Amino acid sequence: MSDAILAGHAFLAVMRRDLHVYLSYRTRLVSQALTAVFSLTLFYYVSRLVHVRGFGSPGSYFGFVVVGIALVSVMYSCFSIPDLVRQELVAGTFDRLLLSPFGAVRSVMAMTLFPLLYSFVLAALTLGMGCLLFGLRLHWSTVPLSVPVMALALLSFLPFGLLFAALTVVIKQGTVATSWVIALISIVGGLYFPVSLLPHWLQTAAKLQPFTPATDVLRHLLVNSSLGDSPSASLLKLGLFACVLMPAATLVLGGAIRFAQRRGTIIEY
Amino acid sequence: MTPRSLSAVAPSGSTDELFGSAVPLDGYESDTADARPLSLRGVSKRWSKDQSPVLDRLTLTLEPATKTWVGGRNGAGKTTMLRIAAGLIEPDGGDVKIWGVSARHNPTRHRRLVSLLPAGDRGLYARLTVRRQLEFWARIAMVPRERFRRSIEEAIDCFELSELAGRRVDRMSMGQRQRLRIAMTFLPEPEVVLLDEPLTSLDAEGTALLNAAIDRLLARDGAVLWCSPSGEHLDMRFHTRWILERGGLVSA
Repeated sequence: MSDAILAGHAFLAVMRRDLHVYLSYRTRLVSQALTAVFSLTLFYYVSRLVHVRGFGSPGSYFGFVVVGIALVSVMYSCFSIPDLVRQELVAGTFDRLLLSPFGAVRSVMAMTLFPLLYSFVLAALTLGMGCLLFGLRLHWSTVPLSVPVMALALLSFLPFGLLFAALTVVIKQGTVATSWVIALISIVGGLYFPVSLLPHWLQTAAKLQPFTPATDVLRHLLVNSSLGDSPSASLLKLGLFACVLMPAATLVLGGAIRFAQRRGTIIEY
Repeated sequence: MTPRSLSAVAPSGSTDELFGSAVPLDGYESDTADARPLSLRGVSKRWSKDQSPVLDRLTLTLEPATKTWVGGRNGAGKTTMLRIAAGLIEPDGGDVKIWGVSARHNPTRHRRLVSLLPAGDRGLYARLTVRRQLEFWARIAMVPRERFRRSIEEAIDCFELSELAGRRVDRMSMGQRQRLRIAMTFLPEPEVVLLDEPLTSLDAEGTALLNAAIDRLLARDGAVLWCSPSGEHLDMRFHTRWILERGGLVSA
Protein backbone atom coordinates (compact mmCIF):
# COMPACT_ATOMS: atom_id res chain seq x y z
CA MET A 1 0.00 0.00 0.00
CA SER A 2 1.40 3.37 -0.91
CA ASP A 3 2.36 5.96 1.63
CA ALA A 4 -0.36 8.26 0.34
CA ILE A 5 -3.13 5.79 1.21
CA LEU A 6 -1.62 5.09 4.64
CA ALA A 7 -1.38 8.85 5.20
CA GLY A 8 -5.05 9.17 4.19
CA HIS A 9 -5.97 6.55 6.79
CA ALA A 10 -3.92 8.43 9.38
CA PHE A 11 -5.74 11.70 8.55
CA LEU A 12 -9.08 9.95 9.06
CA ALA A 13 -7.80 8.31 12.26
CA VAL A 14 -7.03 11.73 13.76
CA MET A 15 -10.54 12.89 12.86
CA ARG A 16 -12.06 9.71 14.33
CA ARG A 17 -10.03 10.18 17.50
CA ASP A 18 -11.34 13.73 17.89
CA LEU A 19 -14.90 12.53 17.27
CA HIS A 20 -14.57 9.86 19.97
CA VAL A 21 -13.11 12.35 22.44
CA TYR A 22 -15.91 14.79 21.58
CA LEU A 23 -18.60 12.13 22.05
CA SER A 24 -17.15 11.20 25.42
CA TYR A 25 -18.37 14.60 26.65
CA ARG A 26 -22.07 13.98 26.22
CA THR A 27 -23.47 17.42 26.93
CA ARG A 28 -21.10 19.43 24.76
CA LEU A 29 -23.37 19.71 21.68
CA VAL A 30 -26.35 20.67 23.86
CA SER A 31 -24.39 23.40 25.63
CA GLN A 32 -23.04 24.78 22.34
CA ALA A 33 -26.52 24.74 20.78
CA LEU A 34 -27.82 26.60 23.82
CA THR A 35 -25.04 29.19 23.45
CA ALA A 36 -26.14 29.71 19.84
CA VAL A 37 -29.78 30.09 20.97
CA PHE A 38 -28.76 32.72 23.53
CA SER A 39 -26.77 34.66 20.91
CA LEU A 40 -29.66 34.47 18.45
CA THR A 41 -32.14 35.63 21.10
CA LEU A 42 -29.90 38.53 22.10
CA PHE A 43 -29.40 39.76 18.55
CA TYR A 44 -33.05 39.16 17.64
CA TYR A 45 -34.10 41.69 20.25
CA VAL A 46 -31.18 44.01 19.56
CA SER A 47 -32.30 44.06 15.91
CA ARG A 48 -35.72 45.20 17.08
CA LEU A 49 -34.38 47.93 19.31
CA VAL A 50 -31.75 49.50 17.14
CA HIS A 51 -32.30 51.12 13.78
CA VAL A 52 -29.10 50.40 11.89
CA ARG A 53 -28.06 52.52 8.95
CA GLY A 54 -28.17 50.56 5.72
CA PHE A 55 -30.82 48.08 6.82
CA GLY A 56 -34.40 48.47 5.67
CA SER A 57 -35.94 46.49 8.51
CA PRO A 58 -35.01 44.84 11.82
CA GLY A 59 -35.36 41.46 10.03
CA SER A 60 -32.68 42.34 7.49
CA TYR A 61 -30.20 43.23 10.26
CA PHE A 62 -31.09 39.99 12.06
CA GLY A 63 -30.34 38.00 8.88
CA PHE A 64 -27.07 39.89 8.54
CA VAL A 65 -25.97 39.14 12.10
CA VAL A 66 -27.08 35.47 12.13
CA VAL A 67 -24.66 34.72 9.29
CA GLY A 68 -21.99 36.55 11.31
CA ILE A 69 -22.75 34.41 14.38
CA ALA A 70 -22.55 31.24 12.26
CA LEU A 71 -19.17 32.33 10.88
CA VAL A 72 -17.83 33.09 14.34
CA SER A 73 -18.05 29.37 15.17
CA VAL A 74 -16.06 28.59 12.00
CA MET A 75 -13.49 31.21 12.92
CA TYR A 76 -13.19 29.83 16.45
CA SER A 77 -12.50 26.38 14.97
CA CYS A 78 -9.66 27.72 12.85
CA PHE A 79 -8.17 29.47 15.85
CA SER A 80 -8.64 26.43 18.11
CA ILE A 81 -5.63 24.72 16.46
CA PRO A 82 -2.99 26.35 18.72
CA ASP A 83 -5.01 25.31 21.75
CA LEU A 84 -5.22 21.74 20.43
CA VAL A 85 -1.46 21.71 19.87
CA ARG A 86 -0.90 23.00 23.38
CA GLN A 87 -3.14 20.25 24.79
CA GLU A 88 -1.07 17.66 22.91
CA LEU A 89 2.15 19.18 24.23
CA VAL A 90 0.89 19.10 27.82
CA ALA A 91 -0.42 15.54 27.51
CA GLY A 92 2.87 14.33 26.00
CA THR A 93 1.00 13.05 22.94
CA PHE A 94 2.69 15.60 20.66
CA ASP A 95 5.96 13.67 21.16
CA ARG A 96 4.26 10.54 19.88
CA LEU A 97 2.86 12.34 16.86
CA LEU A 98 6.25 13.84 16.12
CA LEU A 99 7.99 10.47 16.40
CA SER A 100 5.43 8.71 14.25
CA PRO A 101 5.99 8.16 10.52
CA PHE A 102 2.89 10.33 9.94
CA GLY A 103 4.78 13.20 11.55
CA ALA A 104 3.85 16.32 13.45
CA VAL A 105 3.03 18.64 10.54
CA ARG A 106 0.54 16.28 8.97
CA SER A 107 -0.86 15.48 12.41
CA VAL A 108 -1.50 19.16 13.14
CA MET A 109 -3.17 19.55 9.76
CA ALA A 110 -5.28 16.47 10.44
CA MET A 111 -6.27 17.93 13.82
CA THR A 112 -8.08 20.71 11.96
CA LEU A 113 -10.49 18.33 10.21
CA PHE A 114 -12.88 17.53 13.04
CA PRO A 115 -13.19 21.07 14.46
CA LEU A 116 -13.82 22.45 10.98
CA LEU A 117 -16.44 19.86 10.08
CA TYR A 118 -18.01 20.36 13.47
CA SER A 119 -18.10 24.12 12.97
CA PHE A 120 -19.90 23.50 9.66
CA VAL A 121 -22.54 21.55 11.58
CA LEU A 122 -22.76 24.23 14.26
CA ALA A 123 -23.09 26.97 11.63
CA ALA A 124 -25.90 25.02 9.91
CA LEU A 125 -27.55 24.48 13.31
CA THR A 126 -27.37 28.21 14.05
CA LEU A 127 -28.94 29.10 10.72
CA GLY A 128 -31.57 26.38 11.20
CA MET A 129 -32.50 27.66 14.64
CA GLY A 130 -32.58 31.20 13.26
CA CYS A 131 -35.17 30.01 10.72
CA LEU A 132 -37.25 27.89 13.08
CA LEU A 133 -37.22 30.02 16.22
CA PHE A 134 -36.86 33.57 14.91
CA GLY A 135 -38.29 33.50 11.40
CA LEU A 136 -34.99 34.04 9.55
CA ARG A 137 -35.57 33.90 5.80
CA LEU A 138 -32.84 32.08 3.90
CA HIS A 139 -32.37 32.59 0.19
CA TRP A 140 -32.79 28.89 -0.57
CA SER A 141 -31.94 29.04 -4.28
CA THR A 142 -28.34 30.08 -3.52
CA VAL A 143 -27.87 28.26 -0.19
CA PRO A 144 -26.19 25.18 -1.82
CA LEU A 145 -23.57 27.47 -3.36
CA SER A 146 -22.55 28.55 0.14
CA VAL A 147 -20.99 25.10 0.79
CA PRO A 148 -18.10 25.38 -1.73
CA VAL A 149 -17.67 29.05 -0.83
CA MET A 150 -17.44 28.07 2.84
CA ALA A 151 -14.83 25.43 1.95
CA LEU A 152 -12.77 28.06 0.12
CA ALA A 153 -13.21 30.45 3.03
CA LEU A 154 -11.92 27.77 5.41
CA LEU A 155 -8.82 27.27 3.29
CA SER A 156 -8.16 30.99 3.51
CA PHE A 157 -8.85 31.13 7.30
CA LEU A 158 -6.92 27.98 8.22
CA PRO A 159 -3.40 29.37 7.66
CA PHE A 160 -3.95 31.85 10.48
CA GLY A 161 -4.63 28.94 12.85
CA LEU A 162 -1.55 27.09 11.59
CA LEU A 163 0.63 30.16 12.11
CA PHE A 164 -0.54 30.47 15.70
CA ALA A 165 0.05 26.73 16.14
CA ALA A 166 3.65 27.32 14.99
CA LEU A 167 3.92 30.08 17.57
CA THR A 168 2.62 27.71 20.25
CA VAL A 169 5.26 25.11 19.35
CA VAL A 170 8.04 27.67 19.75
CA ILE A 171 6.93 29.85 22.67
CA LYS A 172 4.34 27.47 24.22
CA GLN A 173 1.79 30.28 24.21
CA GLY A 174 -0.51 31.49 21.51
CA THR A 175 -3.98 31.01 22.84
CA VAL A 176 -4.00 34.49 24.43
CA ALA A 177 -3.01 36.06 21.12
CA THR A 178 -5.74 34.13 19.29
CA SER A 179 -8.46 35.63 21.49
CA TRP A 180 -7.20 39.13 20.56
CA VAL A 181 -7.17 38.21 16.90
CA ILE A 182 -10.70 36.79 17.05
CA ALA A 183 -11.92 40.00 18.72
CA LEU A 184 -10.16 42.10 16.09
CA ILE A 185 -11.54 40.05 13.21
CA SER A 186 -15.05 40.24 14.69
CA ILE A 187 -14.71 44.01 14.30
CA VAL A 188 -12.92 44.38 10.98
CA GLY A 189 -14.47 41.27 9.42
CA GLY A 190 -17.94 42.77 9.58
CA LEU A 191 -19.39 39.86 11.51
CA TYR A 192 -21.81 41.88 13.65
CA PHE A 193 -22.11 45.15 11.75
CA PRO A 194 -21.21 46.46 8.30
CA VAL A 195 -17.58 47.51 7.87
CA SER A 196 -18.85 50.72 6.24
CA LEU A 197 -19.62 51.95 9.76
CA LEU A 198 -15.94 51.76 10.70
CA PRO A 199 -13.46 54.66 10.38
CA HIS A 200 -11.62 54.70 7.04
CA TRP A 201 -8.33 53.38 8.39
CA LEU A 202 -10.13 50.36 9.88
CA GLN A 203 -11.97 49.83 6.61
CA THR A 204 -8.55 49.46 4.99
CA ALA A 205 -7.71 46.76 7.53
CA ALA A 206 -10.98 45.06 6.61
CA LYS A 207 -9.78 44.75 3.02
CA LEU A 208 -6.45 43.15 3.97
CA GLN A 209 -7.79 39.85 5.31
CA PRO A 210 -10.01 37.07 3.95
CA PHE A 211 -12.73 37.23 6.62
CA THR A 212 -14.51 40.28 5.19
CA PRO A 213 -14.94 38.99 1.61
CA ALA A 214 -15.91 35.53 2.92
CA THR A 215 -18.57 37.02 5.19
CA ASP A 216 -19.77 39.26 2.39
CA VAL A 217 -20.21 36.47 -0.18
CA LEU A 218 -21.73 34.01 2.28
CA ARG A 219 -24.22 36.61 3.45
CA HIS A 220 -25.18 37.28 -0.15
CA LEU A 221 -25.69 33.57 -0.81
CA LEU A 222 -27.54 32.81 2.43
CA VAL A 223 -29.74 35.85 3.06
CA ASN A 224 -29.41 37.73 -0.23
CA SER A 225 -27.72 40.78 1.27
CA SER A 226 -26.02 43.26 -1.02
CA LEU A 227 -22.33 42.81 -1.85
CA GLY A 228 -19.53 45.30 -1.23
CA ASP A 229 -17.36 43.94 -4.07
CA SER A 230 -18.33 41.78 -7.02
CA PRO A 231 -18.61 38.06 -6.11
CA SER A 232 -15.79 37.16 -8.50
CA ALA A 233 -13.46 39.74 -6.91
CA SER A 234 -14.25 38.43 -3.43
CA LEU A 235 -13.79 34.81 -4.48
CA LEU A 236 -10.52 35.66 -6.22
CA LYS A 237 -9.32 37.34 -3.04
CA LEU A 238 -10.22 34.23 -1.00
CA GLY A 239 -8.52 31.97 -3.54
CA LEU A 240 -5.35 34.05 -3.45
CA PHE A 241 -5.25 34.04 0.34
CA ALA A 242 -5.69 30.24 0.35
CA CYS A 243 -3.10 29.60 -2.40
CA VAL A 244 -0.44 31.84 -0.89
CA LEU A 245 -1.01 31.42 2.82
CA MET A 246 -1.67 27.66 3.08
CA PRO A 247 1.74 26.52 1.76
CA ALA A 248 3.45 29.38 3.62
CA ALA A 249 1.78 28.51 6.93
CA THR A 250 2.61 24.82 6.47
CA LEU A 251 6.25 25.66 5.87
CA VAL A 252 6.33 27.95 8.89
CA LEU A 253 4.80 25.21 11.06
CA GLY A 254 7.37 22.66 9.83
CA GLY A 255 10.15 25.19 10.43
CA ALA A 256 8.88 25.94 13.94
CA ILE A 257 8.87 22.24 14.83
CA ARG A 258 12.41 21.74 13.51
CA PHE A 259 13.55 24.88 15.34
CA ALA A 260 12.11 23.52 18.61
CA GLN A 261 13.75 20.15 17.96
CA ARG A 262 17.13 21.81 17.42
CA ARG A 263 16.78 23.86 20.60
CA GLY A 264 15.43 20.85 22.47
CA THR A 265 12.35 22.78 23.58
CA ILE A 266 9.92 20.59 21.66
CA ILE A 267 9.49 18.55 24.84
CA GLU A 268 8.55 21.60 26.92
CA TYR A 269 5.03 22.87 27.46
CA MET B 1 22.46 -7.67 7.90
CA THR B 2 19.57 -5.31 7.24
CA PRO B 3 16.23 -5.19 8.94
CA ARG B 4 13.09 -6.62 7.39
CA SER B 5 11.25 -3.34 7.08
CA LEU B 6 14.13 -1.53 5.42
CA SER B 7 13.23 -3.10 2.12
CA ALA B 8 9.50 -2.91 2.71
CA VAL B 9 9.02 0.81 3.07
CA ALA B 10 9.66 3.60 0.60
CA PRO B 11 11.96 6.26 1.96
CA SER B 12 11.01 9.85 2.44
CA GLY B 13 12.71 13.00 3.55
CA SER B 14 11.45 15.79 5.72
CA THR B 15 9.62 17.51 2.86
CA ASP B 16 8.04 14.18 1.90
CA GLU B 17 6.24 14.17 5.22
CA LEU B 18 3.45 16.22 3.71
CA PHE B 19 3.09 14.62 0.37
CA GLY B 20 4.28 11.06 0.90
CA SER B 21 7.01 9.46 -1.13
CA ALA B 22 7.37 6.82 -3.77
CA VAL B 23 11.15 6.99 -4.15
CA PRO B 24 12.60 3.52 -4.69
CA LEU B 25 14.93 2.12 -2.08
CA ASP B 26 17.93 2.61 -4.39
CA GLY B 27 17.42 6.35 -4.26
CA TYR B 28 17.55 6.46 -0.55
CA GLU B 29 20.55 7.56 1.47
CA SER B 30 21.60 4.76 3.77
CA ASP B 31 25.03 4.00 5.02
CA THR B 32 24.53 0.24 5.10
CA ALA B 33 28.23 -0.71 5.01
CA ASP B 34 28.59 -0.27 8.76
CA ALA B 35 24.89 -0.41 9.55
CA ARG B 36 23.93 -1.41 13.06
CA PRO B 37 20.51 -1.32 14.72
CA LEU B 38 21.53 1.89 16.48
CA SER B 39 24.63 3.99 16.16
CA LEU B 40 25.28 7.22 18.07
CA ARG B 41 28.57 8.78 16.97
CA GLY B 42 30.12 11.77 18.72
CA VAL B 43 26.75 13.01 19.96
CA SER B 44 26.89 16.23 21.97
CA LYS B 45 24.17 18.29 23.58
CA ARG B 46 24.45 21.34 25.77
CA TRP B 47 21.34 22.99 27.23
CA SER B 48 22.90 26.41 27.76
CA LYS B 49 26.25 28.07 27.07
CA ASP B 50 27.16 28.43 30.74
CA GLN B 51 26.56 24.76 31.51
CA SER B 52 28.78 21.79 30.75
CA PRO B 53 27.39 19.53 28.00
CA VAL B 54 24.92 16.91 29.12
CA LEU B 55 26.26 14.66 26.35
CA ASP B 56 29.85 15.14 25.26
CA ARG B 57 30.84 13.37 22.03
CA LEU B 58 28.99 10.28 23.20
CA THR B 59 29.38 7.15 21.09
CA LEU B 60 27.25 4.04 21.42
CA THR B 61 26.53 1.19 19.05
CA LEU B 62 23.91 -1.48 19.54
CA GLU B 63 24.45 -4.85 17.90
CA PRO B 64 21.58 -6.92 16.47
CA ALA B 65 19.68 -9.10 18.96
CA THR B 66 21.09 -7.33 21.99
CA LYS B 67 19.68 -5.62 25.04
CA THR B 68 21.79 -2.75 26.37
CA TRP B 69 21.37 -1.03 29.70
CA VAL B 70 22.49 2.52 30.40
CA GLY B 71 22.36 3.74 33.97
CA GLY B 72 23.40 6.95 35.62
CA ARG B 73 22.33 9.33 38.33
CA ASN B 74 19.31 11.61 37.92
CA GLY B 75 20.06 14.32 35.40
CA ALA B 76 23.02 12.47 33.90
CA GLY B 77 21.54 12.76 30.40
CA LYS B 78 19.93 9.34 29.86
CA THR B 79 16.59 10.75 28.73
CA THR B 80 18.31 13.31 26.52
CA MET B 81 20.31 10.50 24.91
CA LEU B 82 17.14 8.50 24.24
CA ARG B 83 15.31 11.53 22.85
CA ILE B 84 18.18 12.22 20.50
CA ALA B 85 18.35 8.57 19.46
CA ALA B 86 14.62 8.62 18.71
CA GLY B 87 14.90 11.83 16.69
CA LEU B 88 12.74 13.85 19.05
CA ILE B 89 15.43 16.47 19.63
CA GLU B 90 18.51 17.22 17.56
CA PRO B 91 22.04 16.97 18.94
CA ASP B 92 24.42 19.94 18.69
CA GLY B 93 26.95 17.64 17.08
CA GLY B 94 27.41 14.05 15.99
CA ASP B 95 24.99 11.77 14.22
CA VAL B 96 22.35 9.18 14.97
CA LYS B 97 21.59 6.29 12.67
CA ILE B 98 19.23 3.35 12.81
CA TRP B 99 20.44 0.66 10.42
CA GLY B 100 22.38 3.36 8.59
CA VAL B 101 19.37 5.68 8.34
CA SER B 102 20.21 9.15 9.60
CA ALA B 103 17.79 10.86 11.98
CA ARG B 104 18.91 14.25 10.64
CA HIS B 105 18.83 13.57 6.90
CA ASN B 106 15.98 11.10 6.70
CA PRO B 107 13.74 11.67 9.73
CA THR B 108 10.58 10.09 8.33
CA ARG B 109 12.40 6.90 7.44
CA HIS B 110 14.24 6.92 10.77
CA ARG B 111 10.94 7.15 12.64
CA ARG B 112 9.68 3.98 10.98
CA LEU B 113 12.56 1.99 12.44
CA VAL B 114 12.61 3.18 16.03
CA SER B 115 10.12 3.39 18.85
CA LEU B 116 10.51 5.28 22.13
CA LEU B 117 8.81 4.64 25.43
CA PRO B 118 9.18 7.95 27.28
CA ALA B 119 9.49 7.97 31.06
CA GLY B 120 6.42 8.79 33.13
CA ASP B 121 2.79 8.17 32.34
CA ARG B 122 2.14 10.73 29.61
CA GLY B 123 1.45 10.22 25.92
CA LEU B 124 -2.04 8.75 26.16
CA TYR B 125 -5.45 10.18 25.28
CA ALA B 126 -7.37 10.04 28.56
CA ARG B 127 -10.83 9.86 26.97
CA LEU B 128 -10.08 7.05 24.50
CA THR B 129 -10.47 3.35 25.23
CA VAL B 130 -7.49 1.02 25.07
CA ARG B 131 -8.56 -0.44 21.72
CA ARG B 132 -9.16 2.99 20.16
CA GLN B 133 -5.81 4.17 21.48
CA LEU B 134 -4.07 1.23 19.83
CA GLU B 135 -6.01 1.68 16.58
CA PHE B 136 -5.12 5.36 16.49
CA TRP B 137 -1.48 4.66 17.15
CA ALA B 138 -1.35 1.94 14.47
CA ARG B 139 -2.76 4.41 11.94
CA ILE B 140 -0.34 7.17 12.92
CA ALA B 141 2.51 4.65 12.83
CA MET B 142 1.29 3.90 9.28
CA VAL B 143 1.12 0.16 9.88
CA PRO B 144 0.29 -1.47 6.52
CA ARG B 145 -3.31 -2.60 6.05
CA GLU B 146 -2.44 -6.29 5.86
CA ARG B 147 -0.81 -6.06 9.28
CA PHE B 148 -3.19 -3.52 10.86
CA ARG B 149 -5.79 -5.78 12.58
CA ARG B 150 -3.24 -8.42 13.49
CA SER B 151 -0.88 -5.92 15.14
CA ILE B 152 -3.68 -4.55 17.32
CA GLU B 153 -4.92 -8.00 18.35
CA GLU B 154 -1.35 -9.09 19.06
CA ALA B 155 -0.72 -6.01 21.18
CA ILE B 156 -3.89 -6.75 23.16
CA ASP B 157 -2.97 -10.42 23.58
CA CYS B 158 0.73 -10.00 24.29
CA PHE B 159 0.17 -7.39 26.97
CA GLU B 160 -2.98 -9.03 28.36
CA LEU B 161 -5.15 -6.01 27.67
CA SER B 162 -8.27 -7.87 26.47
CA GLU B 163 -10.22 -7.19 29.67
CA LEU B 164 -9.27 -3.53 29.45
CA ALA B 165 -9.85 -3.12 25.69
CA GLY B 166 -13.12 -1.24 26.14
CA ARG B 167 -11.98 0.80 29.13
CA ARG B 168 -11.08 4.46 28.94
CA VAL B 169 -7.51 5.34 29.89
CA ASP B 170 -8.52 7.81 32.60
CA ARG B 171 -10.28 4.93 34.38
CA MET B 172 -7.20 2.71 34.47
CA SER B 173 -4.51 2.27 37.12
CA MET B 174 -0.98 3.59 36.55
CA GLY B 175 0.35 0.06 36.01
CA GLN B 176 -2.36 -0.69 33.43
CA ARG B 177 -1.55 2.55 31.62
CA GLN B 178 2.12 1.63 31.58
CA ARG B 179 1.27 -1.73 30.04
CA LEU B 180 -0.71 0.08 27.33
CA ARG B 181 2.18 2.51 26.71
CA ILE B 182 4.56 -0.43 26.30
CA ALA B 183 2.08 -2.18 23.99
CA MET B 184 1.96 0.98 21.83
CA THR B 185 5.76 1.09 21.74
CA PHE B 186 6.04 -2.42 20.36
CA LEU B 187 2.94 -2.31 18.14
CA PRO B 188 4.55 -0.98 14.91
CA GLU B 189 7.18 -3.74 15.10
CA PRO B 190 10.16 -1.36 15.20
CA GLU B 191 13.75 -2.49 14.69
CA VAL B 192 15.01 -0.61 17.74
CA VAL B 193 13.12 0.04 20.95
CA LEU B 194 14.26 2.75 23.35
CA LEU B 195 12.91 2.32 26.88
CA ASP B 196 13.11 5.09 29.46
CA GLU B 197 12.45 3.67 32.92
CA PRO B 198 10.01 1.09 31.58
CA LEU B 199 9.35 -0.58 34.94
CA THR B 200 7.60 2.48 36.37
CA SER B 201 4.36 1.30 38.05
CA LEU B 202 4.72 -2.13 36.46
CA ASP B 203 4.00 -5.26 38.54
CA ALA B 204 5.83 -8.59 38.18
CA GLU B 205 3.33 -9.80 35.60
CA GLY B 206 3.74 -6.63 33.54
CA THR B 207 7.52 -6.94 33.77
CA ALA B 208 7.31 -10.51 32.46
CA LEU B 209 5.16 -9.34 29.52
CA LEU B 210 7.70 -6.63 28.73
CA ASN B 211 10.57 -9.11 28.82
CA ALA B 212 8.65 -11.46 26.52
CA ALA B 213 8.10 -8.61 24.03
CA ILE B 214 11.81 -7.78 24.17
CA ASP B 215 12.69 -11.44 23.53
CA ARG B 216 10.46 -11.46 20.44
CA LEU B 217 12.16 -8.29 19.18
CA LEU B 218 15.63 -9.74 19.74
CA ALA B 219 14.59 -12.94 17.97
CA ARG B 220 14.16 -10.91 14.78
CA ASP B 221 17.53 -9.19 15.22
CA GLY B 222 16.15 -6.05 16.78
CA ALA B 223 17.84 -4.20 19.61
CA VAL B 224 16.79 -2.62 22.88
CA LEU B 225 18.30 0.32 24.71
CA TRP B 226 17.03 0.43 28.28
CA CYS B 227 17.72 3.42 30.52
CA SER B 228 17.05 3.64 34.22
CA PRO B 229 18.84 5.11 37.25
CA SER B 230 21.87 3.33 38.64
CA GLY B 231 21.28 0.47 41.03
CA GLU B 232 18.16 -0.87 39.32
CA HIS B 233 17.86 -4.02 37.25
CA LEU B 234 21.19 -5.48 38.29
CA ASP B 235 19.40 -8.81 38.49
CA MET B 236 18.18 -8.52 34.90
CA ARG B 237 20.04 -10.00 31.96
CA PHE B 238 21.60 -7.44 29.60
CA HIS B 239 24.19 -8.04 26.91
CA THR B 240 25.94 -4.75 27.67
CA ARG B 241 25.83 -2.35 30.60
CA TRP B 242 26.99 1.23 30.67
CA ILE B 243 26.93 4.11 33.10
CA LEU B 244 26.41 7.59 31.70
CA GLU B 245 28.49 10.16 33.59
CA ARG B 246 29.99 13.52 32.65
CA GLY B 247 28.44 13.25 29.21
CA GLY B 248 30.08 9.95 28.26
CA LEU B 249 29.61 6.23 28.75
CA VAL B 250 31.76 4.07 30.99
CA SER B 251 31.45 0.33 31.34
CA ALA B 252 29.30 -0.72 34.32
